[in-house]
Amino acid sequence: MTFSSKSKYLFLAFCLLPTFLLFLIFTVYPMLGGLYYSFFDWSGTSANKTFVGLDNYIRLWNDSIIVKAIINDFFFVFVKVIGIMTLALFFAVALTQLKIKEAPFYRIVFFFPNIMSVVVIGILWQFIYDPNMGIVNSLLNQVGLTEWARPWLGDKTWVLPSIAIPAIWAGIGLFMLLIMGGISNVPKSLYEAADIDGASEWQQFWHITVPLVWPQIKTSILYIIITSLNGSFVLVQVMTGGGPGSASEVMGSYLYQRAFEDFQFGYGAAIGVLILVVSLITVLVSQFILKKEKVEY
Amino acid sequence: MFVIKNRKQTWFLVALMSLMLLLVACSNDEESNSDNEENSTTEQSTAPSDNTSAENTGDGLSGTLEIQYFVGGYGDGWWKQVIGDFQKQNPDLEIIEHAGPNINTEMNTRWISETPPDVVYIDGAGASETQMIAEGQLMDISEFAKGITLENGTPLLDSFISPAEEVDGGKIYSLPLVFDTWGTWYDTKWFEENGWEVPTDFDSWISSMEKIKADTKIAPFVTTGQHTQYFHRGVLNPAFAAAGGEELLNDLNNGVIEAWKKPETLEVLKKVEKIAKAGVIDSGFAAYNHTQSQMNFLMHKNAYIPVGFWLPNEMKNDTPDSFEFGFTPTPMNDPGQPLALVPDIRTIAIAEKAKNPEAAKAFLEFIFTEEYAQAFAESTGAIMNMKDVDLSSNTNVQDFLKNINEMINNPGAVHTYKRYTPDAEQQKIAVEITNEIKLLIIDILLGDITAEEFVDKMVKKAEELN
Repeated sequence: MTFSSKSKYLFLAFCLLPTFLLFLIFTVYPMLGGLYYSFFDWSGTSANKTFVGLDNYIRLWNDSIIVKAIINDFFFVFVKVIGIMTLALFFAVALTQLKIKEAPFYRIVFFFPNIMSVVVIGILWQFIYDPNMGIVNSLLNQVGLTEWARPWLGDKTWVLPSIAIPAIWAGIGLFMLLIMGGISNVPKSLYEAADIDGASEWQQFWHITVPLVWPQIKTSILYIIITSLNGSFVLVQVMTGGGPGSASEVMGSYLYQRAFEDFQFGYGAAIGVLILVVSLITVLVSQFILKKEKVEY
Repeated sequence: MFVIKNRKQTWFLVALMSLMLLLVACSNDEESNSDNEENSTTEQSTAPSDNTSAENTGDGLSGTLEIQYFVGGYGDGWWKQVIGDFQKQNPDLEIIEHAGPNINTEMNTRWISETPPDVVYIDGAGASETQMIAEGQLMDISEFAKGITLENGTPLLDSFISPAEEVDGGKIYSLPLVFDTWGTWYDTKWFEENGWEVPTDFDSWISSMEKIKADTKIAPFVTTGQHTQYFHRGVLNPAFAAAGGEELLNDLNNGVIEAWKKPETLEVLKKVEKIAKAGVIDSGFAAYNHTQSQMNFLMHKNAYIPVGFWLPNEMKNDTPDSFEFGFTPTPMNDPGQPLALVPDIRTIAIAEKAKNPEAAKAFLEFIFTEEYAQAFAESTGAIMNMKDVDLSSNTNVQDFLKNINEMINNPGAVHTYKRYTPDAEQQKIAVEITNEIKLLIIDILLGDITAEEFVDKMVKKAEELN
């Protein structure tokens, strides 16, 4: 069966046009809107706007909280990439290679946090960390490590790692499934051949599994970077509101505070543009670092 | 050739459709706006009714009156009552209510597109009277307000506990409707059982906290570290007012450099440092949001908490039966000095672009009566901002409210100070000052900085901003 040129283009338009239009309306338009508003002194609550040129960007440059927020954002990126990828790879290999009978059960258990709302996860972990009735401090007290118990989310040193743990916990499932899909496509004969050649399981992991699922690993890392820079805000907002003080402030939570609490929408929009620029640069740099020849055996 | 032409046509069609869809989606169409609002769950329209008494018919107002009100800790019972009564009096008027906990955000586009509702009750997140005045969104109602008299002949402006604010050289943009105030809460019954005295000044407060700590091994003081405005408005502001009156209170919040350098300011922060050093603050406070801190307070994990009047209403579903709310202006005053209250007044105003200003004015005039003040105290747990309303015989009003109402109407032990609405320029500085205080409150309560360091950082910030 052959398609005429006309029907081919009609079919293409049918597939692409709706998505393209939605992309224009819900991504491109708000993005351009954000860029436009970043050049104004605007409260976001009235029709009065004053063009201020690059004033908001100059202010960004001199704002000490912004520096802190960027550092905190990159802390989350770094910890989440390492934590999620290590555990997701480990679980994926364990569930596919080790022939565990209960593998389907674990697959569901590990994926479960992905279907939970991030807000629910934040509230849940707030209870886990509660200084009085939280399970973390209760366990520490029971095993005699009383001096280790602390108000995790109220401690300037420990607040970031404390938020990173649920972020990792909630992120593992999706990437585990992605990598499992990659592993299941690796021909079994390669492992059999490696076995015959006397390669240990560790060597098989490094020399067969990792190179062959590298495309999935790379995609996962980039996805974690993007979602972390754009999405850490939700957990932070629910669990600490950026506190104590500004100890867990990320760019997203600071944007929210400025735009919607301080009525400085123009400045908030400038922070939004900064998030976009930082995300783009980070993804480009990461792609360059992760560039690796596709391996085929 | 035919194919190329066709392809061009297809792409032209695609581009045209994209453009049209974009324009339709982004257009600022009033009609579609109001259509959406009719579907909003927060909106309720009371159509002109037929079953009204004959004497009202013909007398009343007509047209449409749109009222925007935030529904928070006070609930919406009072609003339903007054709007219902106003409707009865004006059967030909269609009243549209825009209400809910997120109503300020939901109505934002109406304010931006300059088609606001007629009446707005300014309260809750996303609403700022200062901002609205600065943006020219509120109507100057000075002359109208001066002309209103109550049933007993007293001018309305003389009947407020906290007076209507005059800005821009004597202009009145809003009427102060709700007299709310921050202060410190405790459990009256628990205090009586243990023989703990309610403090009347800073020294007795510290002694009381030390005694409670010794008796129960709990940290007596808790506040929310996530929302430090609770400590700022509930403890610092009354302390500033007690130490240096309204001038110091307003100057500090508006970032006046000299005010931050005053010895009275340092004295206040020394008191805060003393609280921190006494080890009476819940060690987890910095992690708590307001609900967590309030829950701990209700569970007797703490004995004192700074919150506003709405606390009992907000926590009514979680309050143990044995718990009896007690309220005192935060005792940061020196011995022998009166306790200081800094009211947090919630106002009602008319939009500058109101479509039915006559009905809006009539509504504002209608709600300020003793009857509605009584109803307000019954249903909200707060006080309507009207003097000489006798709540003592009203059995539906909670005891703490009767006591505080008595205190307010009988000055002597308690002195009320006003935090004035800053003007547009002051507001820019005030926002940054508040943000800086927010950070430093955590530092000083955690014991990471001293009172002197607090003051130094604030002076530096004020210098940067001025």
